[in-house]
Amino acid sequence: MAIENPGLRLHLLLFLVLSSSFAIFKVSSESDSDRVAELLRLQPRSGSGVIHLDDQSLRRFVTSAKSRSYSLIIFFDAVHLHDKSELHLQELRAEFDLVASAFINNNKDTPAHSKVFFCDIEFKESQSSFALFGVNTLPHVRYVGPQIQNLKDSEPMDQNDFARMAESMAQFVEVKTKVTVGPIERPPPLSKKQIGFLLALVLISAPFVVKRVIAGDTLFQDPKLWLSLAVFVYFFSVSGAMHNIIRKMPMFLADRNDPSKLIFFYQGSGMQLGAEGFAIGFLYTVVGLLLAFVTHLLIRVRNVTVQRVFMITALLVSFWAVRKVIYLDNWKTGYGVHGFWPSSWK
Amino acid sequence: MGGKTESLNGVKSGSTQTSMGTAQIGLKPDLFNFSLKSLKLKTKQQELLIRVSVLGLIYILAFITRLFSVLRYESMIHEFDPYFNYRTTVFLTEKGFYEFWNWFDSESWYPLGRIIGGTLYPGLMVTAAFIYWVLRFLRFAVHIREVCVLTAPFFASNTTLVAYLFGKEIWDSGAGLVAAALIAICPGYISRSVAGSYDNEGVAIFALLLTFYLFVKAVNTGSLAWALASAFGYFYMVSAWGGYVFIINLIPLYVLVLLITGRYSMRLYVAYNCMYVLGMLLAMQIRFVGFQHVQSGEHMAAMGVFFLMQVFYFLDWVKHLLSDKKLFQAFLRITVTCAIGVGALALGVGMASGYISPWTGRFYSLLDPTYAKDHIPIIASVSEHQPTAWSSFMFDFQILLFLFPAGLYFCFKRLSDATIFVVMYGLTSMYFAGVMVRLILVATPAVCLISAIAVSATIKNLTSLLRTKHKVPHGASAKGTTSAKASSKASLDQSLPFQRNGAIALLLGAFYLLSRYAIHCTWVTSEAYSSPSIVLAARGAHGGRVIFDDYREAYFWLRQNTPSDAKVMSWWDYGYQITAMGNRTVIVDNNTWNNTHIATVGRAMSSYEDEAYEIMRSLDVDYVLVVFGGVSGYSSDDINKFLWMVRIGGGVFPVIKEPDYLVNGEYRVDKGAAPKMLNCLMYKLCYYRFGELMTEYGKPPGYDRARGVEIGNKDVKLQYLEEAFTTSNWIVRIYKVKPPNNRW
Repeated sequence: MAIENPGLRLHLLLFLVLSSSFAIFKVSSESDSDRVAELLRLQPRSGSGVIHLDDQSLRRFVTSAKSRSYSLIIFFDAVHLHDKSELHLQELRAEFDLVASAFINNNKDTPAHSKVFFCDIEFKESQSSFALFGVNTLPHVRYVGPQIQNLKDSEPMDQNDFARMAESMAQFVEVKTKVTVGPIERPPPLSKKQIGFLLALVLISAPFVVKRVIAGDTLFQDPKLWLSLAVFVYFFSVSGAMHNIIRKMPMFLADRNDPSKLIFFYQGSGMQLGAEGFAIGFLYTVVGLLLAFVTHLLIRVRNVTVQRVFMITALLVSFWAVRKVIYLDNWKTGYGVHGFWPSSWK
Repeated sequence: MGGKTESLNGVKSGSTQTSMGTAQIGLKPDLFNFSLKSLKLKTKQQELLIRVSVLGLIYILAFITRLFSVLRYESMIHEFDPYFNYRTTVFLTEKGFYEFWNWFDSESWYPLGRIIGGTLYPGLMVTAAFIYWVLRFLRFAVHIREVCVLTAPFFASNTTLVAYLFGKEIWDSGAGLVAAALIAICPGYISRSVAGSYDNEGVAIFALLLTFYLFVKAVNTGSLAWALASAFGYFYMVSAWGGYVFIINLIPLYVLVLLITGRYSMRLYVAYNCMYVLGMLLAMQIRFVGFQHVQSGEHMAAMGVFFLMQVFYFLDWVKHLLSDKKLFQAFLRITVTCAIGVGALALGVGMASGYISPWTGRFYSLLDPTYAKDHIPIIASVSEHQPTAWSSFMFDFQILLFLFPAGLYFCFKRLSDATIFVVMYGLTSMYFAGVMVRLILVATPAVCLISAIAVSATIKNLTSLLRTKHKVPHGASAKGTTSAKASSKASLDQSLPFQRNGAIALLLGAFYLLSRYAIHCTWVTSEAYSSPSIVLAARGAHGGRVIFDDYREAYFWLRQNTPSDAKVMSWWDYGYQITAMGNRTVIVDNNTWNNTHIATVGRAMSSYEDEAYEIMRSLDVDYVLVVFGGVSGYSSDDINKFLWMVRIGGGVFPVIKEPDYLVNGEYRVDKGAAPKMLNCLMYKLCYYRFGELMTEYGKPPGYDRARGVEIGNKDVKLQYLEEAFTTSNWIVRIYKVKPPNNRW
């Protein structure tokens, strides 16, 4: 891909400079109403009404447009950071979309409609714009008012305005632009089509289900299924899975001192990591089920050697599991459990 | 399936079980057997005697193990809520029931006040007052405080009896005894029922288990008397604790499961209808509950199941009348459709018209646990509402957790109406225990019962293996021989010495585990659950015990040195204690019924001093009380609770914003802390003159021992408040709000 010929390179450069200056000339010759019309034309391209800007269009609509009748709310996005969950970029972007569509829907055919436009910029394709705004941390939303000449003077949205998601963003927009965004409509978790489909499914299957329930031969009348469900509920509770869900605990942590090592067990009661809980829950369940197995199933095995081998294995495994759990518990909580003996015995 | 375990006669099983039970409390069962044999009692009498005496010992054990707190500290009321209960009980015994029932308390929630009679569950107070009156009548000159302190252990002892009866009902008397022994010392229950823990739960767990037992008994017998008794048990539970909602949802669920699995019977019909109708009518007599049984969404499941029962009964009757099967099928279809349609319509209309209230936040947060965290900070902030980590389960149940799955398995092997109930109770409560730490308490009886089934059935199997073996070849006298042969175990196996050894090994293992359980429970009771949390104890530098009695020092200072109509502002945790011990009016207390009022206090605490002064003037506050652990290293002080004040305050007053108090999402009090943090009222009151104090050798002055940092604002100046009193270890600090300046 590298261009070998210096002459050709020069030509290309010249061409680029010329064409871009021409573009500038063309852009700056545009009137304000042209730009508004262009923005309105771009608006429906994305589903939510957020206009995607790049270096060139930003220049066209903001930098080179000396007098503007509209303000822009710009969301700074970076596709390569989407997988960093702690930044919540995608969630915030979705909330931003909600604000944008709420604004467009609620201000249709009013003068406010062409006063505020919601835009986004992607980092990889418009790095120089990021530099123009002086944006170096994400998430970031900026308000560019009609009078702003230097982009760095535009006002950023405060961190805690992100906190309450779309509602607080809308508040920010309303404060800055003096237009009303209106109520924000969140899409229901299930679309109408999906609900209809599910309803139809339930209706169709209902007669079959009722018939089988009455006949008493469903899967749900099988005690084995209920037993396994019961054991699962037990496992779910004692492993602290609920704790992990509520606190959004990760499965394991990377060691701070040595990032290549992983920490699976967290020291300190009242907190736990995901994998830790599951390991312990598994140990509990194994011991309990082994006990049930030994007393109920093993006695029906005809072969004596098999019985003995299983018996000894079960004993050893249980012993090991109980020891392990008690050891881990003492380590985790830091308690040393001991008996109380009469002081004369010491 | 369980036929093998049942094939033995009851005598042997009884005596082996008692050996289990006594092992728990360290008695030698052989001693009993020996001395009893010399008395020449009949086997059945022996068994009864042993059972009764073991039960008596368990009863005493359950009581005395809860006295650790009295031994280690003194006979006093613990924690926060019990102080309110104590205060109301004293009021009840002094003024009588009607005064109590109509009591308007102007000393809390100033200036709103609180209607006590209509906003509390009176069961506990009435029980304690009743015990007090009975003792007085018998001419025992006891103080009401002693009665309150010992109410919870007394009811824990009674719970063991109920556990025995319940275990006997669902499995056999052996399992009952084991269940009684397990629950007597189970830390999950002890945590709420040590002496001094005078709280609703102490009585309520007894009532809960009693209601369940009576209901299962009613279902098993179909007798109206038992159903009536269970309705009264339910009434007692409703009067004692808000956790009755668990009963009124679990029992319908249980009935529904029985209906679905085709276990509908006349017994069930009698038991449920009687219990529901009477229980509901009785429960309406409690003013705090009122008409909720017919109006609140949380109680609708019970009503739905009630109507479903009638439909079932009606169908049964029609089936009886109609001989044609096809006709009945058609009829069935129409009736079921109509019934469901009418039910759904009624519910829909009720909800839409607002007659039936939707679920409350607390209930909703149990079903969808992430709800509270996002929506109701006042619920999420309470430490006992946190989700449970595995170590808490281990701490409260220890080996019962290992036995629980085995017990489940045993129950499924011998499914009956009763075992289905205990399995459902166990699983639902286990799930709820996973959601909130405090609900481990509700799960404890179920875990004990199910584990007791596992222990009892296993040991019964093992001992029967041992006994039959040396009986069959040599008769009864061949004790200790290793050449025992043949087995009654379905005659599966002919070479047995090894199996016998295996049984002995397993028995020893079980004995070892159970003794570990006893040691664990004793230790936990003694070290972890006996602290009154109003008097703090710590290990000093030389290993000796240091007692911090700052709370009482401060409350008695308030009582002695402030005008009797003074209003004290503090965070809500200390409200009950201030009214009960300091006898002064508080702005907010632990009955968190008015979120806005609490948020106002939170706002005052997190504002600058001048703004806070405006708020305090508007609430007529005379004194401000803060709890501070920087000198003593006490970590659950107001600085560590402060973020919750900000959150709760910010939830109502958006001017308070949590990020203002954080630096890059981090909560700090040192030099790098947020400026708003360093100048808010709470910070100033906690750290006033703290910068002059050397707390630890080798550290600069103003070193906060609870957080391990040097504080950021050492030069705290107070403009509108002045220090009134600081306790000896600086744990409680009281400030006087200055009157407004003269205008001339």
